[in-house]
Amino acid sequence: MTSYRALFILVVLALGNLRLAKAQDNYEIQVYGSDTVAPQTTMLELHSNFTAEGSYPALGSQFTSYGVYPTNHAEHETVEITQGLNNWSEVGFYIFTSTRKGDGWQWVGDHIRPRVRAPDSWHWPVGISLSMEFGYQRAAFSQDTWTMELRPIIDKTIGRWYFTVNPALERSFHGPSVSQGVGFSPSAKFSYDFNKYISGGLEYYAAYGSITDVSSLRNQQQQFFPTIDLNVSPNWEINFGVGVGATASTDHLIVKGILGRRFDWTHHRAGSSESTQ
Amino acid sequence: MDRRDFLIGASLAMLGAAAKTKLWAQTPADVRLEIAPLKLEIAPKKEIHTVAYNGRVPGPLIRWPEGKPITIDVVNRTDGPEIVHWHGLWIPSEEDGAAEEGSPMIAPGGQRRYSFTPRPAGFRWYHTHTSAGHDLKRATYTGQFGCFYIDPKQSPGAYDQEIFLTLHDWNAYMGGAGDASMDAFYDYATINDRMLGHADPIKVRAGQKVLFRILNASATAMHWLALAEHDLTVVAMDGNEVPQHAKVQAVRLAPAERIDILVEMNRPGVWVLGETRAEIRKAGMGIVVEYANQQGEPKWIDPPEMLWDYARFAKPQPATTQPDERVPLVFESKFHGHGDVDYWMINGKSFPKTETIPLKEGKRYKLAMQNKSGDDHPIHLHRHTFEVTNLDGKPLSGLRKDVVVIKAKSNAEIEFVASNPGATLFHCHQQTHMDFGFMMLLRYI
Repeated sequence: MTSYRALFILVVLALGNLRLAKAQDNYEIQVYGSDTVAPQTTMLELHSNFTAEGSYPALGSQFTSYGVYPTNHAEHETVEITQGLNNWSEVGFYIFTSTRKGDGWQWVGDHIRPRVRAPDSWHWPVGISLSMEFGYQRAAFSQDTWTMELRPIIDKTIGRWYFTVNPALERSFHGPSVSQGVGFSPSAKFSYDFNKYISGGLEYYAAYGSITDVSSLRNQQQQFFPTIDLNVSPNWEINFGVGVGATASTDHLIVKGILGRRFDWTHHRAGSSESTQ
Repeated sequence: MDRRDFLIGASLAMLGAAAKTKLWAQTPADVRLEIAPLKLEIAPKKEIHTVAYNGRVPGPLIRWPEGKPITIDVVNRTDGPEIVHWHGLWIPSEEDGAAEEGSPMIAPGGQRRYSFTPRPAGFRWYHTHTSAGHDLKRATYTGQFGCFYIDPKQSPGAYDQEIFLTLHDWNAYMGGAGDASMDAFYDYATINDRMLGHADPIKVRAGQKVLFRILNASATAMHWLALAEHDLTVVAMDGNEVPQHAKVQAVRLAPAERIDILVEMNRPGVWVLGETRAEIRKAGMGIVVEYANQQGEPKWIDPPEMLWDYARFAKPQPATTQPDERVPLVFESKFHGHGDVDYWMINGKSFPKTETIPLKEGKRYKLAMQNKSGDDHPIHLHRHTFEVTNLDGKPLSGLRKDVVVIKAKSNAEIEFVASNPGATLFHCHQQTHMDFGFMMLLRYI
């Protein structure tokens, strides 16, 4: 418990000295569950997000009026590699890329994301986890280049239903949002298991602006993604969704997909279904 | 109607019947078991709140000569109905200790005398036969288990030391989700009542032949065991001598399976006898084996990886006796969401709606099983011993058991002679499977 408390205090202190960051910019569109990748296991994910209707360049420029590449018809490909450290922690690493007609395929930035969770042995009635993401994105793609996100995760599975909420807080180290304080960017998801292999759900992503000065609705980001999860194998993660932006500041139409492959480096797993050692 | 409702109904009926009969004799019984809550210390500052027999885990070893009648008084000091199943014994249904067969439940505060003649000889065991459902602090998740050894009329063979060991997992909780259904996971595991490093070591001498009789009393978990640097000669399974005494580096035990292994103590040192999987050893499943005049830290060495194949201990020829009847059984799961356990069906139905198989005394039956599910199932036939005759199309014979694992997506055949009239239960010994439909009755007609 002492180490968890120390970590929590460190994170709160860090946030207190930082300033506002902006939302995730459609490189990784995912509401987190509390579970972490098992030890001696690596999860490799490819996040593919196509903005069918997004921002446009300003007149006479290849950039938007905010000085970044437009998102309209941009394809964002993100590689996420997550390594399980023990049965309550993991660390993830992101490589963000973007391609758009005329702009070529470009490296956008990298993030690192350590995450801890309440171990199973605590027997809590809900899953609880805390993620801290830190990293850089090029100024041509994000006004705020160095950012940090603190994301609590609360989830619960009841029969065929699954619920998760991520009330994330964001800060910027460098960029125009630095002066805006802590930003609030919650996300949430619920899903229903149609059968063992197919679950359908709704994901919600938002950025409300600073927690001390909430943006007007027009300037908030609000997105809703009807999604399908395919549970074809314990080693694969497949998620597909179409997102609709509900405010003027949100990209209006995004198609997203996540393809994940789990690599188990152990020779065997605990449990009752193994006949081999 | 689920299994719990069925048991409550059956219990009330049985309790009524029990009231009309004299269940408690004035004469002292040969064995007395008291079921009561227990705070069990499995390591310093690690206490398990459980229920056990006679305030200990495992319960007392019952060692009894084959063919000699025994009386066992059982007192229930818990707040729920209880029952004790005498696993692997050929005894009447009403004494077998399964309410589904007609054995009476023992009411809270109540008591019952079991009377039977133990047979066949070999390593049997006893345990609670109640339902846990979603409450993973009940039934076989508790410490209600013990070894029952029926001494053969003739001496079984040469060994210098005999040691009974029981495997158990503790503090179960439901986990999993993701793309699988929920299943039981555990915080701790023990051999007998202590975690690795916290029990007195097993003392041996170089040159000794030690016979380990090992029971997996886990509610749901399969376990692999090895003794570092030593070969294990498997001499019996589920208390019955195997046709081929094969040497292996590790043994696999499903819930309710027993194994007798003979070990030649020819590597002096201080070693760990434990689970082959490091995370389960770390959770406690292991015990130190210490040679005389040897000291130092106990050593663990991983055995080579291996597949567990029952056929290795059986005759490779098909059984010579032909069955009189073939009973096809298909095992399937029914998905109830990633946040629930799977429910189970035999031939499309869950207990108590499963069909009842009619038996005629003296006939030989083949249960032809097809496991369509993605889980292994340690199936158990009460009150009879069966012969494993086919595993995934590969014939074998001579391997007599009362629990056998039907691997996921596989076929298996077992044969038995209907020689013990009375209602007979057939079920998966995984507590989460039997509680959610994986049971069936066979009845003599």
